[in-house]
Amino acid sequence: MRTLRFPRSVAPAPGQVRTVESGGRRIGLVWVDGELHGLADACPHRGAPLCSAGMLVHRVESDGERVVRHVPADRLRCPWHKWDFDVRTGICAEAPRMRARRYRVWLEDDEIVVSLAPVRD
Amino acid sequence: MLIDCDIHVTYRSIKELIPYADPHTRELIERSGVAGLSMPTYPWVHPSGWIRRDTYDAEAVEAGSMFPGFTLEQLRAHVLDPFDVVFALANPDEAACFSVLPNSRLAAGLASAYNDWLVDTWLRHEPRLRGALVVPAQWPEAAAAEILRMAPTGAFAAVFLPGAARIPYGNPVYDPIWAAAAEVGVPVAVHVHYEGVGTSGPLTGAGMPDFYTEFHTLNGASLQGHLVSILCHGVFERHPRAKLILMEGGLVGHVGVLWRLDQNWRSTRSEIPWCRRRPSEYVWDHVRFTTQPLEEPDDATQLADVLRPLQPEHTLVYATDYPHWDFDDPDQTLRTLPAEWREPIRFRTAADLFGVAVPAAA
Repeated sequence: MRTLRFPRSVAPAPGQVRTVESGGRRIGLVWVDGELHGLADACPHRGAPLCSAGMLVHRVESDGERVVRHVPADRLRCPWHKWDFDVRTGICAEAPRMRARRYRVWLEDDEIVVSLAPVRD
Repeated sequence: MLIDCDIHVTYRSIKELIPYADPHTRELIERSGVAGLSMPTYPWVHPSGWIRRDTYDAEAVEAGSMFPGFTLEQLRAHVLDPFDVVFALANPDEAACFSVLPNSRLAAGLASAYNDWLVDTWLRHEPRLRGALVVPAQWPEAAAAEILRMAPTGAFAAVFLPGAARIPYGNPVYDPIWAAAAEVGVPVAVHVHYEGVGTSGPLTGAGMPDFYTEFHTLNGASLQGHLVSILCHGVFERHPRAKLILMEGGLVGHVGVLWRLDQNWRSTRSEIPWCRRRPSEYVWDHVRFTTQPLEEPDDATQLADVLRPLQPEHTLVYATDYPHWDFDDPDQTLRTLPAEWREPIRFRTAADLFGVAVPAAA
């Protein structure tokens, strides 16, 4: 299995996105609910720098009356067309056919390990 | 190769125009209100930002800059160089609202100052850039004088009018603008901008909407109103050399409007006898449409079918709208259109419109 390794010090602070680069790949790292997630720094819609210039935002929903702002922030908002992608799944809820590429990420000793193998649900 | 018919530049503060302003305009910029002149702005706010987030720096935003960190170097790096742009039209941002100020003399003074500022700060530094000339639409005689004043510079490739207006641009009160633009050989560019702001009417006949989402969905209605007015008033009969570019108002809507206008004209042509030809026929000769924001149906193949009546290979010209949030990347966007349309849209039709030399078609 091909992997990329980065020093643990590059991990983002909670609520932030940190983009790392290796071998021509740019990958955004985000903590959500104690898990480190990795998404490609390329919006599947038009190729914008989703992670390096996007924003981590809250999911805002309504049942028709009440508006709920979910915590924690778990959506990456594209810097161009402002589409939101679920950090956990890479899916854009408003356009489910659009899915940001995900990477499996884990911690190993003092390193962050990113698997380049395709993520299958 | 690309011709980009819609990129936006602006000053960081309107006070940058002071060195270029006549004494009266300068007095009003400096002394109006509490901290100097301010411009009317949209009552609708984009919920997460009007500008591409990778084009500005956050510190400048907090300092109140309007287009923070937006520089010519950045424009080159993001658009002009990577897409091999040979010609780009620099359209205004806030300066587009001068035409909806109630004070027409102030509007004229600001427009002249802006045009001189644009030459000095952007156009003379980048040969691929040409300006869209800002004029006071509410004072057509002054607008015509500004067109004639700046024509000898060769720095401007279009006359800019915002979609927002007191009355549509076909009305004969605007004839001085059409005549001057035709005389100096540049198209009039009507760009979606400031609808429902200042002295302009409401966004649509439905009244004023509540949400930015409504505004951004409906603002192209202004362009349809201007186009129908221009055709019904016979502008292209009175000014056979005049050209029009409609910018950023969507494309699909124009198809239905032209069908309906042609249909109505058959029954009502005695009311508008100066519109001698079927209205849509003037469009093929005189009108061009910028592509951005290109409609995105779930089934992309539907778009080409719906657009075909607009004769896209002859009428569409490419626009990115950089650095606005709904920027269209040319490589990605053109891929969604039929292959035979791409080169005309990418540069050939605009080259013909603006007189830009490009290699002959293979």
